[in-house]
Amino acid sequence: MENIDINQLLSIAVFGAAVGLILIGLYAVLIKKHLIKIVIGLSIIDAGIHLLFIAIGYINNGTSPIFSEKGISLVNEGVKMVDPVPQALVLTAIVIGFGVTAVALSLVIRLYRHHQTARIDQIKTLKW
Amino acid sequence: MNSLLLIILILLGGAVLAYLAKRITPMLSSIVSFLAISSATAVFFTMTSSTDIVEVNIRNFTLEFGLNAYSWLFGAMVMGVSALVSLYNIAYMKGKDRLGYFNSNFTLVVMAMMGILFSNDWISFFIFWEIMTWSSFLIIVYNGIEEGKIGTKYMIFSAVGGYAMLMALVITNSQINSFLISDLISSFAGLDMGMQSLLGILFLIAFSVKAAVMPLHVWAPRAYSDSPMSFTAIFSGLLSKMGVFGLGIVLISVFAKSTNSNIIVYTEILAWLGAITGVMATFYAVIQTDAKRLLAYSSVAQLGYIVVGLAIGTKLSVMAAIFMAVMHAIFKGTLFMVVGAVERQTGTTDMTKLGALIRKMPWTFVAALMSIIALAGIPPLGGFIGKWMLYESLITSDHYFLIVMTFLSSTAAFLYSYRFLFGIFLGQEEKEFENVKEAPATMVIPMMLLAASLFFFGMFPGYLFEPIANSMEFLGMGQVDWSMTVLSNQWGDQVDTLSIVNSIITIFGIAFIFLGLKNRKKTRYVTTKDIHTGGEIPTENENLTYAVDFYKPFERAIEPAMRRKMDFYYNKFGNGLESLFEFVRRIYTGNGQTYALYVIIFLVILILFSEQIFL
Amino acid sequence: MVVSPVHFIAVPLLAAFLMPILAKVNKNLLRIIPGIVLTYLGYVSVVLMNRVATEGTIIEVLAGWSAPWGINLVYTPFTGFLATLMIAMSFLIWLYSFKFKQVDNQPALKYFILQMMLTTGSVGLVLTGDIFNFFVFMEIIALSSYALTAFYRDRNGAEAAFKYLLIGAFSSTLILLGIVLLYSQVGTLNMAEIAVRMHDVPTPMKVSILILFLVGIGIEAEMFPLNGWAPDAYSQAPSPVGVAFAALVVKAGVYGLVRIVYTLFDLDGTGSFLVVMGGITLVVAEVTALRQTSLKRMLAYSSIGQMGFVLIAFGIGTHEAVFGAIFLMFNHAIIKGLLFMSGSYLVYNTPNKEIKYLSGYGMKMPLISLFFSLGALAIVGLPPFAGFWSKLYILLAAADSALYGLIALILAVSIIEIVYYFRVVGRLYFGKAAEGSIMQKPTVGGVIAMSILAIAILVVGIYPDIITGYIDNAASAILDTDTYIKNVLGAVNEITPVENIIQ
Repeated sequence: MENIDINQLLSIAVFGAAVGLILIGLYAVLIKKHLIKIVIGLSIIDAGIHLLFIAIGYINNGTSPIFSEKGISLVNEGVKMVDPVPQALVLTAIVIGFGVTAVALSLVIRLYRHHQTARIDQIKTLKW
Repeated sequence: MNSLLLIILILLGGAVLAYLAKRITPMLSSIVSFLAISSATAVFFTMTSSTDIVEVNIRNFTLEFGLNAYSWLFGAMVMGVSALVSLYNIAYMKGKDRLGYFNSNFTLVVMAMMGILFSNDWISFFIFWEIMTWSSFLIIVYNGIEEGKIGTKYMIFSAVGGYAMLMALVITNSQINSFLISDLISSFAGLDMGMQSLLGILFLIAFSVKAAVMPLHVWAPRAYSDSPMSFTAIFSGLLSKMGVFGLGIVLISVFAKSTNSNIIVYTEILAWLGAITGVMATFYAVIQTDAKRLLAYSSVAQLGYIVVGLAIGTKLSVMAAIFMAVMHAIFKGTLFMVVGAVERQTGTTDMTKLGALIRKMPWTFVAALMSIIALAGIPPLGGFIGKWMLYESLITSDHYFLIVMTFLSSTAAFLYSYRFLFGIFLGQEEKEFENVKEAPATMVIPMMLLAASLFFFGMFPGYLFEPIANSMEFLGMGQVDWSMTVLSNQWGDQVDTLSIVNSIITIFGIAFIFLGLKNRKKTRYVTTKDIHTGGEIPTENENLTYAVDFYKPFERAIEPAMRRKMDFYYNKFGNGLESLFEFVRRIYTGNGQTYALYVIIFLVILILFSEQIFL
Repeated sequence: MVVSPVHFIAVPLLAAFLMPILAKVNKNLLRIIPGIVLTYLGYVSVVLMNRVATEGTIIEVLAGWSAPWGINLVYTPFTGFLATLMIAMSFLIWLYSFKFKQVDNQPALKYFILQMMLTTGSVGLVLTGDIFNFFVFMEIIALSSYALTAFYRDRNGAEAAFKYLLIGAFSSTLILLGIVLLYSQVGTLNMAEIAVRMHDVPTPMKVSILILFLVGIGIEAEMFPLNGWAPDAYSQAPSPVGVAFAALVVKAGVYGLVRIVYTLFDLDGTGSFLVVMGGITLVVAEVTALRQTSLKRMLAYSSIGQMGFVLIAFGIGTHEAVFGAIFLMFNHAIIKGLLFMSGSYLVYNTPNKEIKYLSGYGMKMPLISLFFSLGALAIVGLPPFAGFWSKLYILLAAADSALYGLIALILAVSIIEIVYYFRVVGRLYFGKAAEGSIMQKPTVGGVIAMSILAIAILVVGIYPDIITGYIDNAASAILDTDTYIKNVLGAVNEITPVENIIQ
């Protein structure tokens, strides 16, 4: 009984945290005017999604999906392995997010040098 | 090789060569264009027969080309006039720049017209129609007047017309599963009523734009007058006849068996619009001071008559309309060539400045005189016959108010006809035009040939009646009675043209000889400056010719009718649209966060309304 | 030599990574390598297109894990056609930009590397049969585009790139979220497998995932209102990159949308959704284009409008409509390519790339003006050029589905298109050029590239049957989901049952 309660609480907490991160990141991207804050917001959104993905792939009381001796013995006892696919995908997504953040920051530097301001609502030379 | 294909290829090759020939020498490109068009004309008149059919297969539809009596008539008109105009073009365009561009587009326009006439199915018709549109656009902007606003206007109206045709042909295909014109003709009456009205309106709009029927005519006056004159000769003479060609097909063949009352209403409206165009355009022509503008408005007016004839739809009126169409092509072509010759020799076409060119350019004057006589509808030339038949048909078909309007505009046409002749050729000589010479022979010969043909068709209208009767039979109007020189109406009265001509020639001939011989000793040669008035002899610099404000009383009389031009409303509409577009443009604010916000808002809207949208 | 679809991805990727090393050996190599790579890939495409026409779909299994566990490349007539088109356009872009930044080779090196990556990404996206792989390639395209947009230092490239990045990040976020939710429902990443298992997914979930994908991929496909990044990016990037955007990136985006809607999901209302959104995109873009004063921005908006048109055609959904849509994609790639290429030479030396400075250029740069006018006439849909046939087919399809209002709307918008294109053409051919305006002479490669495109437009316009066979097969391929599934998975009956591996 107790195990299930904890597990449910845990999953609610993790999912809640993931969604919360996404919303915080969204707030930062949409409302904040400073370019660096926007880039940070993008990273936070990414973190939230990665957390969400891993949480979806998790099985209660499962073990890590590695074919080691201990792992195989656990499987023979009936313990399930956690889904490895989301973990692989999240690794890829983390790398992609890292690349995007790097490009974004270099663009911010260039923009600051060009316009002498880092506020996004003052960088509007291209319009209509 | 199939003659139709040969004609199109000759013209296409001519266009390409004309563009390239400019590198060698500019004149060569005009000569190449002339050679291409005249050789195509030769092929047309000698080698074609109505059994030539060309089929081109593209994926799952077939483009079919062929020649029938109706298109042969128009083809003869197009080829004959273009060949002569292209001869004229050589000397007219001499010394101007970008000749390769001009001549290749010129030849392309002629090719496109022949392509339209040869088309048996709507897709090829549309293809060549659009080629005609953009190649004529490219020539209109040649003179660079007013930064292309008239070009844009022309393009918009032509596009409206062309796209109306496209929509109609696309819907037609989905209804009867075929693109052939003959299939549409045979199955139109079987479509349901709403479809018939829709297709009817679309086709009528498409062709009315080209035939400059009110209210779709606003592009015409400026476009005709601002293009180079050798092009306007074909532009107003022949391109507008493509609209007439289409109207003929639609009004006569397609609508023939339809019992839809809406269709009958549309044709009535069209007749009225044609008559109104005739009247209003004539009034505008009367008050013009520039010869080119005058002719442009006059073209629109003449087209109005032709449309009335087609719309009324009786045998006589259709015959009249097609006859007038051919005549109009010939005499308008000549008139624009005259104006072009005058422009080239004197540098201006402003009738308040010109005068007394009759001495200096006698041949040009003769051509102009013949054409004006034909335009005004005076016997013995061709225009009279067309007008006579048109009046007859209007009376016999009980369109009394239309008769009044047509008479009104014909009478007013006398006013501008006279103005044209007087303003350019008669009156007292101006000092600055002392050294004007006659136009070169390559320009005069086409004008004289066309003028002579006016005379010829006036005497022997039967030569024209035969092809017209054949084409009307093709269109489904049944047998038409005609004879070589005699016009008859349903009450048995007859107009024997040959005897009219003979008597006129005899009277004039006797008068000339008599007067010439009688006063021979007493005649002396005077210049046009030798005049006196009220006992005073004016000095050389005073010009007493009545040229400015020529028809002021007339202007005052018709002023209430001329208060608002259609153009005004179009411009207002255009401006309104532009401000609307300016407002739409502001969506792209330039702020990156706003764009991101759009994304999120869109997402939220989609999620909220997902059942309505996706299920 | 055995050719297989994986070469499309492996070879340019390898070339991109080797280029910095080889450039140190010999400076000229860095310009020649992309040419060699693309020519080789052109040869591969021709071979594969012939093979797929005779043998059917080619499935390439990567790394030994067959479907539905592994990643596989699916070369159908549709994807093959798009891949060939992209390779051909990349080759022409390479020709056009051969002398790019000849003076200072460092930036040129980065430019060519990024172009190779862009090609890899686009072609890979089109060929892949796995949805996460799709996401990865999309990110490759995105990153290369961000960098290429910001290429020039003295323009507003950074601003355009940052906006693009901001919205592009949303795109990847949404797609990733969609993949996450999709995986949690069907348990597989293979597109064919997803198509099979999609029927069992509860509808609210299905709709949410579809919306996420539509918005996410719609950003790349320049759907309204998600295309705020597009005008800036097209106009600020170097011209060959602008061509790449129009011919590669947006085609990939539209392909993504089509694959998702046609193959993976089976919801009915999506067709009308695409028609409506495509229509709004078309109208807003063309209307805005009318009011533009800068040539490249005008071309960008026109490009967005054409993509809206493609979306309408895909939304109608009949065979004729899809045929027209694919034909339009092809036409748009070559015609927009020509317009961007010639347009950039026309405005090379004008301040702010404004149109009003173009008076009279017809006399001074006759060849380039001819190319531009040819492109303008073609894109509006005037015969006898290529654009006419695609427009005709789409309108025929619309008429067959009795969408008369749509036909009227499309034609009305075409009139607007005519106005703003012919404004430029008219200005080119009359008027006097201002004194002191310097003409930019095009490079030999540029002239060759533009001539090839112009000839292609003329040939396809006069004799469309050259291309229609391939397009017909492509249309049948995309509409036929069952064949796709069968080809990838072996036989429909042999699918492993859904195991309950997710809580």
